[in-house]
Amino acid sequence: MPPSTPVEKFEAMKADALVMGGGPQSVRSLDALSEELRDVSNLMTKIKLPMLGICVTHQLMATTFGGSTNLAKKPEFGPVEVSVSDEDTILTGLKPSFTAWESHNDEIVSAPPGFKVLASSANCTVQAMRHENRNLFGVQFHPEVYHTPKGASVFKNFLKVVDDYKRA
Amino acid sequence: MTLEGFRPSSYLTSETARILETVGNGKAIAAVSGGVDSTVAALVAKRALGDRLFPVFIDTGFLRVGEAESIKTRLGDSSLGLKVKLVKAGGRFLEATKGETSAEEKRKKFRETFYRVLGEEAQKDGCDFIVQGTIAPDWIETQGGIKTQHNILEQVGIDALSTYGFRVVEPISELYKDQVRLLGRHLDVPRDLSERQPFPGPGLLVRCIGAISKKKLDLLKSSTEIVEQKLGPFNYDQYFSGVIENDFVKDAVYDSLEETTAGALGLPPSETRVDVFEDRVTGVKGDTRSYGRLVGIKIQDESRETYGWLPEKLRLAQSGIVEKFVDVTRVAVLVKEKRGGPPLSVIVRAISTRDFMTAAVAQVPWKILKDIAESILKTGDSSRVYYDITPKPPATIEFE
Repeated sequence: MPPSTPVEKFEAMKADALVMGGGPQSVRSLDALSEELRDVSNLMTKIKLPMLGICVTHQLMATTFGGSTNLAKKPEFGPVEVSVSDEDTILTGLKPSFTAWESHNDEIVSAPPGFKVLASSANCTVQAMRHENRNLFGVQFHPEVYHTPKGASVFKNFLKVVDDYKRA
Repeated sequence: MTLEGFRPSSYLTSETARILETVGNGKAIAAVSGGVDSTVAALVAKRALGDRLFPVFIDTGFLRVGEAESIKTRLGDSSLGLKVKLVKAGGRFLEATKGETSAEEKRKKFRETFYRVLGEEAQKDGCDFIVQGTIAPDWIETQGGIKTQHNILEQVGIDALSTYGFRVVEPISELYKDQVRLLGRHLDVPRDLSERQPFPGPGLLVRCIGAISKKKLDLLKSSTEIVEQKLGPFNYDQYFSGVIENDFVKDAVYDSLEETTAGALGLPPSETRVDVFEDRVTGVKGDTRSYGRLVGIKIQDESRETYGWLPEKLRLAQSGIVEKFVDVTRVAVLVKEKRGGPPLSVIVRAISTRDFMTAAVAQVPWKILKDIAESILKTGDSSRVYYDITPKPPATIEFE
């Protein structure tokens, strides 16, 4: 679905969750976002469903909710060892660490207020984060690619969150 | 659409209907290369059009030894029944790409020549349509500016009808490689073809890094034969070689490169030598095209023999270099060199991948790499043989 999809349409189609992928853009400032990413940022604030942001949308989640994103001191490309400090829901079963495929020049410098950091790597402190009491999740690594062998666990864990949300 | 959710039979039904609706009572040429994508696309179109489909194979001159003839025979045998017309156009392709050093310009000149030749064939056969085996990563990477795939026109705003005089039919353009292979098996494509390792449309042109020359092309043909023969039994997803000239960058930016490399390898700098090649290679960093440098690492003989393949340390050196030096997209390790040989290097690459969107470096046994290097150097056409140790990202699978 394109990010320009109106919130009402998401509600009308009875979506269960919102999963947002990566891209080549930089999201260091809300004022300098492309039209497409402004739409994504708006969706993040308006939609109340469980949400998972990957790579650039993970960074956008930080920028949108008051954290900050900047050029990484050391970018990451290809295999990276991600250390889990808190398995909290989406990283359940992934302690102590797992190998993930990465591709990013920017990174989250500080997580937004109300979010806690769940995992980090040697180069990047916010590999995964979640909102303390809302179902907002972000991951810097790519759980959707073949070369992140434990990536499916992240999605399975996220789907459990979605199930719990629907039951509640 | 995931591999698990993909149903070849229903895909085939809806796609043949769509082709019939597009082509109507017309005729179509199928551009085939012997690869799985174009073979499957042609077979899907044949289901829809029968005798109104004319398979054409263009010999671009950038093919492997004996490839054109063997593919014509292979596709024409009874199991596939694609009666292929072979069009020799090597001279035109070489003329069009000569002197061009930029990877993107080489690809665009290739595309232009490719469709001019196809357009002429279509006109000869009275065909209004061209069927081609474009798949999803082709247009994703072209639209995303990663690299221009030669088989993308309409997705980047080129109107095929007004520019080349035909309309394009792409029966598998929404599929990924693993789905194409599944569809191929459903269409009874023999395994050796459906599982065949990919070969780029522009062929050896994009493995001849920088400007094309007959010398480089000849070396590439012989090294390709050696690499394919020696690595064939290992079942890596893709394995090939590239050729680059031994011209090196001298720039203060790289002053600390040797120290970074030696540090990651845990060796004193005196035991390593690092070269930055002048000709650029294609990479992808943070979902963006990165047309950057290739770094060649040499570990002095004694250390190399002691450490063997060193996969973990080499991985650290590779990622350390690519993270620190913004302009570097690839790192290769020297397997063997010969003093006084022609100033050309062969880069061997072998990867494991499923969907060709990401790739890991295959851990080829060091003694196999040495054996390959010795065979390549023996021909006397090059002086160095490297092994590419860069995953995708930050490198792409092909060199250009």
